[in-house]
Amino acid sequence: MDILYNILIDPFVQMGSAPDFFLQVLWSGFVAGTLYSLIALGFVLIFKASGVFNFAQGIMVVFAALTLVGLYQAGVPAWLALILTIGAMFALAWLVERIVLRNLVNQEEIILFMATIGLNYFLIGFGEYVFGGEPKPMIAAELGLPTGSTTFEPFGGIVIIEHLDVAAVVMAIILVTALAIFFNKTRIGRALRAVADDHQAALSVGISLNQIWVIVWFAAGIVALATGIMWGAKSDVSFALQIVALKALPVLIIGGFTSIPGAIIGGLVIGFGEKLFEIYWGGLLGSGVEGWFAYVIALIFLLFRPQGLFGEKIIERI
Amino acid sequence: MNVAVKPADTGSDRANAPEVMLDIRNVSLSFGGVHAIKDVSFNIHKGEIRAIIGPNGAGKTSMLNVINGFYHPQVGEITFKGETRTQMRPYVAATQGIARTFQNVALFRGMSTLDNIMSGRTLKMHKNFFWQMLRFGPAMQEEVEHRERVEEIIDFLEIQHIRRTPVGRLPYGLQKRVELARALAMEPELLLLDEPMAGMNLEEKEDMSRFILDVNDQFGTTIALIEHDMGVVMDLSTRVVVLDHGEKIADGTPAEVSSNQDVIDAYLGVAH
Amino acid sequence: MRLAEGRLSGWKQEMTAEAHDASVHDTIPKLLLRNAKVRGARPAMREKDLGIWQTWSWADTLTEIRDLALGLRALGLKRGDRVAIVGDNRPRLYWAICSAQSLGAIPVPVYQDSVAEEMGYVLDHAGVKFAVVENQEQVDKLLEIRETYKDLKEIVFDEERGLQNYDVDGVRSYEAVQQLGRDSDDGEDVWRGEIAEGKADDTAIILYTSGTTGRPKGVVLTQGACVWAADTAEQFDSLTENDEVIAYLPMAWVGDHIFSYAQSYVSGYCVNCPESPETVIDDRREVGTTYAFAPPRIYENLITHTTVAMEDASAIKKKMFEYFLGVAREYGEDILNGKPVPLMARLKYWLGNLMVYGPLKNRYGLSKVRIGYTAGEAIGPEIFKYYRALGINLKQLYGQTEAAVYITGQPDGEIYADTVGTPMGGVEIEIADSGEVMYRSPGIFTEYYKNKEATRDTKTSDGWVHSGDAGFIDDKGHLKIIDRAKDVGHLNDGTLFPPKYIENKLKFFPNIKEAVAFGDGRDSVTAFINIDLTSVGSWAERNNVVYASYQELAGNPDVYKMIEDHVDAVNLELSQEERVAGAQISRFLILHKELDPDDGEITRTAKVRRSLVNERYAVLIDALYDPSKKRQKIKTEVTFEDGRRGDIEGDVEIRDMKLHAIDRASFKEAAE
Repeated sequence: MDILYNILIDPFVQMGSAPDFFLQVLWSGFVAGTLYSLIALGFVLIFKASGVFNFAQGIMVVFAALTLVGLYQAGVPAWLALILTIGAMFALAWLVERIVLRNLVNQEEIILFMATIGLNYFLIGFGEYVFGGEPKPMIAAELGLPTGSTTFEPFGGIVIIEHLDVAAVVMAIILVTALAIFFNKTRIGRALRAVADDHQAALSVGISLNQIWVIVWFAAGIVALATGIMWGAKSDVSFALQIVALKALPVLIIGGFTSIPGAIIGGLVIGFGEKLFEIYWGGLLGSGVEGWFAYVIALIFLLFRPQGLFGEKIIERI
Repeated sequence: MNVAVKPADTGSDRANAPEVMLDIRNVSLSFGGVHAIKDVSFNIHKGEIRAIIGPNGAGKTSMLNVINGFYHPQVGEITFKGETRTQMRPYVAATQGIARTFQNVALFRGMSTLDNIMSGRTLKMHKNFFWQMLRFGPAMQEEVEHRERVEEIIDFLEIQHIRRTPVGRLPYGLQKRVELARALAMEPELLLLDEPMAGMNLEEKEDMSRFILDVNDQFGTTIALIEHDMGVVMDLSTRVVVLDHGEKIADGTPAEVSSNQDVIDAYLGVAH
Repeated sequence: MRLAEGRLSGWKQEMTAEAHDASVHDTIPKLLLRNAKVRGARPAMREKDLGIWQTWSWADTLTEIRDLALGLRALGLKRGDRVAIVGDNRPRLYWAICSAQSLGAIPVPVYQDSVAEEMGYVLDHAGVKFAVVENQEQVDKLLEIRETYKDLKEIVFDEERGLQNYDVDGVRSYEAVQQLGRDSDDGEDVWRGEIAEGKADDTAIILYTSGTTGRPKGVVLTQGACVWAADTAEQFDSLTENDEVIAYLPMAWVGDHIFSYAQSYVSGYCVNCPESPETVIDDRREVGTTYAFAPPRIYENLITHTTVAMEDASAIKKKMFEYFLGVAREYGEDILNGKPVPLMARLKYWLGNLMVYGPLKNRYGLSKVRIGYTAGEAIGPEIFKYYRALGINLKQLYGQTEAAVYITGQPDGEIYADTVGTPMGGVEIEIADSGEVMYRSPGIFTEYYKNKEATRDTKTSDGWVHSGDAGFIDDKGHLKIIDRAKDVGHLNDGTLFPPKYIENKLKFFPNIKEAVAFGDGRDSVTAFINIDLTSVGSWAERNNVVYASYQELAGNPDVYKMIEDHVDAVNLELSQEERVAGAQISRFLILHKELDPDDGEITRTAKVRRSLVNERYAVLIDALYDPSKKRQKIKTEVTFEDGRRGDIEGDVEIRDMKLHAIDRASFKEAAE
């Protein structure tokens, strides 16, 4: 009976008795969720346009953040370092297209996937060689990101909102909106969707696959940079960040690999879910729920709705 | 604006000596050891409707793929609008004014009819995507201009009612029409149609025939088409080239070709 | 009120202050001048072209019509000449009607999908000199006609496509003709002079009706009749210049001519032309039609679309749809009629509107419809009630070409699925002894063009028109149409026998697919029934009834019992209607085979071929009228799907029915 009480009733009693704390948990879940969404977005972009699951997306986050911090530490002013990093992400996209994708065109998807694993290790090695392996602090203040916090007092309690978190959420919203407009309203966005639908037909109307790939990888690089900055500001910039990027996998399973709204909702589900579960149910299962919660949810989705919430329905034709 | 591909004026140059738009000389194509095309030469005149026929496996679709750069022949030359080359990339073919449709309908299934046709305008739009995202200023104006052209094509092919429908949901006959619309949106000089009437019922075939004739007549577009329905070929085409097992066995007017003994032999025993 | 003689008059028309002065604006072209003056900037027409709605104000419309009229005049069009109008609903074709009328010429709209031969007949019969047509397709048809019908002088086309290279005498573009008009000197004065000459009793239009038998007849309507019809409707439904209609029904149909043309000039509202016939539903939604008019099949099609869409919908959606539709069926009609409804039901209906009815109405493009009409033929009560339940004010009206549409209409708050309403303003109705509905109104036609004999047969010297329909006026004072008059027979005791009326009542049961009633010249009414294999088949499945063929299922005693109940229900309904109470079905049988178009027993459009049925099944009919026979053997030749012929043998059971008592006294009372 106690167990049932602890699972079904007690957590809600706690939520009700300390609504301010509940709000605080929700907010931290929301912030984590938006960052998960951003990472997932990087995967979705590349998956949509080229059908490749980009194993290197996580390391791209680290690589982008490292480049930014590394340049700054080398004496480049923060704003210039940001611009140069964006340039570096473009160079990376261009090189990936030239060296990897172009030569593997029309190959099996698994081969392209393997190629991204190779890219992953190359970036780890290259990053360590250039910037060293030790953790570095993110140059948040130098980039003009706000610090400090605001305290609210709802329900007679207190909720603390970090300004950095607000900035992260705002930036995520701006980025997602921009990408959505880019995908739906521009010629290149249309071309991108065309490539995702049918390579041959896209070629026949004069869409250049090479150009599209560069653009998509560049967009994914920008998303990686944004994620790297925000996540780096919360902890430090180190190769451990790529573990966070792995969380994108369950997000994608929930949202569907090809859907931008799916990535956003999936990210939020995981963000809210793991925080709430950790705080209110975590004690029952020992701590560290945050580490595995997302994967369990993903497993459940794989069992019941393998195409994800927004993924294209898989229809077997007979 | 770059040099727009202007449809040629028909009528006037019909009477004069025909101008060769595309010349294919001694083209051979093989995959591994399989010879898909063996030393084929023929040309396409500006403003004509050129049919490519032949039994299954004759190399017709391979021929179209060579013309628009999907396949690169090992031997032979292709001269398009006076420029000679051995291979062509699809992107270049598209920029040069070659558009095509596919045997099994290759549409962007997730997009609406309108977006599919708009994608045919890709090469004609030049404004920076940054402006496009803001939907403002010159980019907006450009979008509107292209939309107008696309609307004219929608009107021309009578597909107003499916403008917003995702093409994946359309019946086959209409998908074929949308595919033609997308090719037309490129304002091509040479239009390659791979079995435009396959799988259609009689009424749809009649509609499609009318559209093909109208395209040729109104826009002066040169058309090369692969078709199995001999009635359609005889009605539509100016000249016919016949392939069999990758080789050219006849070339001439529909009347000449249909009385050619080789052609009759090639078609004997082939079920249609 | 005493209604025993079956005579009824509509309300007395009165002129409101806003209404136009009928003595001044007595023709459509004069109304055009008025509209351009009093509401010149308001929209008169819209058309969706290249994806965008183009609008013409009344002032623009005047210019368009004037230029065309003067152009036609320059080409030699004179007062009294006939002008054919052929094509889909396009602004330019409507303007061509007004252009012709402004010169005193007579427009003759022709069904655009008729083949050259049919069209040729109409053009020749009407003596058409000019034609204004939509596109190449119609030009080609007219050129073919012109090879034999030489009087056709000028063909004016709207859409240039495919016609650029036509170099034929007397074929020119609409623009070219308008340019001719603009080039003519002091055209404006000349044109206004022509309009001033127009009078109410000028012929406004000739509408050819496709009769079920013989050649089409040209119904001649005057300007006065058309203006009267529009005035009447304006008062009946308080139409204003703010209403919006969509024009998508054939221009040659009287309904379109009044709703999309005359009414617009009288009420000043805007007429919207769809982009193409396939886009009507979307276009209707975009313009937000407030006043709608359609034959029943259009409403049926919309329901079919919904049914098909619902089959693909998710289970939750389906459940929700069914639940709220149930709520709507129960309360929708009462809410629409402003009757008291429990609060809870109102709440549920509100919720349903939010989740089901609203989106559904939006999908039909009927969200903003204030008044919708169904007319042309009888609408199934289920279909009619469905729309009313959704909160769409769908009403029935009874009209004919010969009446400039309006005979009766359903006033708001007096809507019954099985009647067509009360006489419209200025209309008188009388039921002849034969049961035929007769009417008289300011809107009735002048004559059938060049057909004195038919005119004499239809219109009496004192202006009463034979509707050709049999009907009666019920105890609420509403007209009820039961059948075509020529199909109505009599039993030997003189009782009215309307076969289609009875058959339709039977066919409203889903289990009954087809019915044939007998009784003319007999002592009693009997019927053949065809069961509906889908409906009865699914009943059989649910109840574990095994059957191998239609014949086996048709002979099943439980099925017989089920059909007997249906027949009894029909008899009960009949017994409560004075004029047909004596025509209850006394015996019936379920046919051993389905009536089949391949055997010629019914037409492809599912109309029973009575003479053939009488002949093929004479044995069964005789048995129905032989009380001693309880079963009858029959052998029928049939054509199989592959064209082979063979015989079907059957031993058919005949059921006797107990008839319901007729309470003559109550009918008397109701009539008093």
